[in-house]
Amino acid sequence: MKILYIDTTSPYLYCAISNNKEITGEIQERLDKDLSVFTLPKIKDLLDKKQYQPNDIDKIIVVNGPGSFTGIRIGVTIAKTYAYSFQKEITTINSLQAMALSSKSQSIYKVPMIDARRGYVFTGIYDSENNSILKEQYIKLETLKCILDNLPGNFSVITNDNIEIENKEEYVPNFEKIINHYQDKEPQNAHLVNPVYLKLTEAEEKQAIETI
Amino acid sequence: MKDIYIFGIESSCDETSCSIVKNGKEEISTVVSSQISIHKHYGGVVPEIASREHVKNITLVIEECLEKAKMKLEDMDAIAITYGPGLIGSLLVGVEAAKTLSYLFQKPLIPVHHISGHIYANNLVEEMKFPLLALVISGGHTELIYMKDHYSFEKIGATLDDAVGECYDKVARIIDVPYPGGPTIDRWAHEGSPSYKLPIPLNDESFNFSFSGLKSAVINLVHNEKQRNQEIRKKDLAASFQNVVIEIITKKTMKALQERKVSNLIVAGGVAANKGIREKLTELCQQENIHCVFPPLNYCTDNAAMIAASGYFAYKKNRIANLELNSKSSDVLN
Repeated sequence: MKILYIDTTSPYLYCAISNNKEITGEIQERLDKDLSVFTLPKIKDLLDKKQYQPNDIDKIIVVNGPGSFTGIRIGVTIAKTYAYSFQKEITTINSLQAMALSSKSQSIYKVPMIDARRGYVFTGIYDSENNSILKEQYIKLETLKCILDNLPGNFSVITNDNIEIENKEEYVPNFEKIINHYQDKEPQNAHLVNPVYLKLTEAEEKQAIETI
Repeated sequence: MKDIYIFGIESSCDETSCSIVKNGKEEISTVVSSQISIHKHYGGVVPEIASREHVKNITLVIEECLEKAKMKLEDMDAIAITYGPGLIGSLLVGVEAAKTLSYLFQKPLIPVHHISGHIYANNLVEEMKFPLLALVISGGHTELIYMKDHYSFEKIGATLDDAVGECYDKVARIIDVPYPGGPTIDRWAHEGSPSYKLPIPLNDESFNFSFSGLKSAVINLVHNEKQRNQEIRKKDLAASFQNVVIEIITKKTMKALQERKVSNLIVAGGVAANKGIREKLTELCQQENIHCVFPPLNYCTDNAAMIAASGYFAYKKNRIANLELNSKSSDVLN
């Protein structure tokens, strides 16, 4: 079974191919604003190098957020168009879970974190078995720090962003672990694969406040 | 000659659309998913919401278009995509989908400029005759373009500030007409009388336009009337405003036709649906023996049929992009 993994939710393109549970090719590259330019050509190169035709892929795992709104849409649009066109299985995973799974730390709690600007972060808390302790959310960094202070064990914050917090660990995706963990996850209808932003648009927030 | 089928995708603003067009002139199927009902709650298009809707809709629209045509992507000769100008986040969804289809089905990827799409919508009505002058009037554009042949665009004039459709929407907002206000202003203009005095903007010898001053004049007028406790006669204001717009647009268009010795005029873009502008231009063109073509109303608003039609002529000229194609919020038509 050949699986294509796509994550464009951060400034990095994280992409991998796994063949029968073994990673056979991967990309980890910081692309920033050029994600929209190079994501598809780089996926093509990855398949070409393995001499895979697009139709050889059996399943697509796409990270559908949270993270950069534009970034999320790049990966999700490519993945759902791919899966729909070639009738491939597709499943989504959460960027924070992928980060927690990749942690090398021995600490009890894993706290993946993405800067959401203006003092807010996207985060969640997972135990060593990757069970969710605090569900994925958009939260004020200061509020999260209070929660972390009261955790009954040590924790590691997994992030690539410039966030002022202790116990930081760099996020380097462990593709093998992520893909093997999710490869049997129930496939979804490609049309219904959509981003998870965890945050309303500013226009929606403003209107919600006005209606209160 | 073998028939050429182009699959077009358009997502530059608040409409997700796909279309299949044969030989650049025959529409096989078109699907448009409009977001107007969502954006009207906010008084205009909210870019982030538009982008979010495009992602939700894109594969559904692709599928419905293919099913309607009873065709497959394998049957297509190329994929045409609006790469710009427009809302960058919206464009991006269409571009990523088009790049993916181009890769998966090994079809050439044809980047299409949104304005050229509006112009080529007319080729779906009747084959374009050259040389021609294209008057592009929409929510984002007000331009006069001279074309001596297919895919030869010479911009001879454009708005220096607001687009004409933008001005309609802003004026509508000033007098509390819900978004999109253009069609309502057009209807009221026919019911009211042009009894308010408004200045004709940039009434000079150039082919450029300016609408922000006209908008300010309406704001000031409404403000002054309110100060004097006078009720605004909205229909009369609509008629006065529309009169000025028609006056300046038709004047410069007719002058351009005369100077360039062109006898074919095509009108394109959302504001081409405006009844007042249609009537006046038709009348003037008849007087001057100019052949004037308006797109039918469903081709005035954004749609992928026009992108596929334009894409056909770009394909013929071998204007093909590679998979590194990026969307552009603004770009010169050439």
